[in-house]
Amino acid sequence: MNTDFALWTVIMAGVATLAIFSFLIKENPFYRFFEHIFIGISAGLISVQGIRYFLWPQILVPMLGLDIVTYPDGTASKPYEPLLLLYIVPLLFGLLYYFIYSQRYAWLAKLVIGFSLGASAGLAFKGFFAEMLPQLASSFKPLVVMEDAQINYLQSVSNIIFIFTLLAVMYYFFFSIKADSAVEKKFSASGRWLMMVCFGSFFGSTVMARLALLVERLQFILIDWINAIKTVLIA
Amino acid sequence: MKFKTLDRRVIYLFVFLALSWPLLKGFSIKPARMKSADKFYEIVDQTKSEPNKFAFISFDFGPSTKAENGPQAEVVVEHLMRRRVPVVLFTQYIQADPFLKSIPLKIKAALEAEMPGQKWIYGKDWINLGFRPGSGLLIQSIPKSTNLADLFGVDAFSTPLKEFALFKKPKTLKNISLLGQFTGLVGLFDSYVQFFQTTDYKPVFGHGCTSITIPEAYIYLDSGQLQGLQEGIAGAAWYSKRLTDAYPNRKPDNAILINTGLGIAHLLLIFLIILGNITGLISRSKGG
Repeated sequence: MNTDFALWTVIMAGVATLAIFSFLIKENPFYRFFEHIFIGISAGLISVQGIRYFLWPQILVPMLGLDIVTYPDGTASKPYEPLLLLYIVPLLFGLLYYFIYSQRYAWLAKLVIGFSLGASAGLAFKGFFAEMLPQLASSFKPLVVMEDAQINYLQSVSNIIFIFTLLAVMYYFFFSIKADSAVEKKFSASGRWLMMVCFGSFFGSTVMARLALLVERLQFILIDWINAIKTVLIA
Repeated sequence: MKFKTLDRRVIYLFVFLALSWPLLKGFSIKPARMKSADKFYEIVDQTKSEPNKFAFISFDFGPSTKAENGPQAEVVVEHLMRRRVPVVLFTQYIQADPFLKSIPLKIKAALEAEMPGQKWIYGKDWINLGFRPGSGLLIQSIPKSTNLADLFGVDAFSTPLKEFALFKKPKTLKNISLLGQFTGLVGLFDSYVQFFQTTDYKPVFGHGCTSITIPEAYIYLDSGQLQGLQEGIAGAAWYSKRLTDAYPNRKPDNAILINTGLGIAHLLLIFLIILGNITGLISRSKGG
């Protein structure tokens, strides 16, 4: 990458970061301007990158034979593969999606949507079993863990807590039978409390993730951006 | 009570100052031991550099989670490159594409500076497959493929994979000794858990998740579907420390610095929570 370009990229990124952070002080036109830029870029970036990094180099270039070099003596670096023209079929099929804008031919778009739904449902069905069965199997844990003919108390307590939590939370969501007795109610309530503990850990980890992002941005501003500004000013 | 009417911007200023101090001073504290990151380190360390075998690493993260997934991916790829295990990089997330190029180049430069005379070469030590769409459908086709070079065709720079020594002979899932995946997107991670295996072979699987998804990721570690896990930046920092212990000439990386800032921010938050509760209790006792 050109050094000047890289430098100005860092400066621009710093300005954009500060603009977004300026919202912390109060809503302002500087923030609003960069927010709109960000939304516009996000929308455009995916389609541009899809074409630049996938559709063009991996589909169109080989299909059109643009990767074949013709030498001065007329020979080619490799023969053209006519079967690559078959890429046209899924390309055209995918393009049918745009008929969603036509009242008359919207049914053509439904073919693509139906195909996508069918494929997704099939994958989800297969994926569910591949993902959940090992977890179901691993939830059968011994309540007393023996190691070298001795009880591993720590692991045993851990397994007991695991099994209790599993059953209590499942019971909380079991709505077919009304929990009337005091034991049932307490068991169900403990399921709710254990879920609260889980949500608390989720919240804590969310705060941790957000702060990690903030630290990285501050590092960028305080070190990379300031250095880039200094380089420009000195130059 | 003045605390009740404290401008939130004052709190932001405190957080900014607390986080800036270690960054500006380059101050770092030893990361806490993370058992799951230890497991990840061990599986990478046990991955042998064998002919016809390679590590398949998926960077499924963008700028939004780069702070956590970036250092995680860096330490693992560095570890593999140090051990001369060929790395095939890949992504299902289009915004990760620049990282597939920049991270191995950054590691190559650091390793070559640390070990003059040794070279890490594109095509031999790492190959970048670039961004590929298809999500679960593509992941599912990897274990079914009888030749991965035919499935992927070309690398990120349009070079046919068969031109690289690693892909001269047909390669299948069984040639993948280690799968590493780094993401904050649970859906993409699920695709690997669900489909990246055959009935008789499953590569060793290490995952780097963001802090938000740690509680979910532990489930897979407990069930044995994962063999190693880096939990957010804390996992990356511990992994980095293990690498520095094993390779003393290694220069410190970003993971420990960010982790230090994070630790200080947590202390500040805990202090503010305690302060808020105490002032709240005092205010209530005074009937405020």
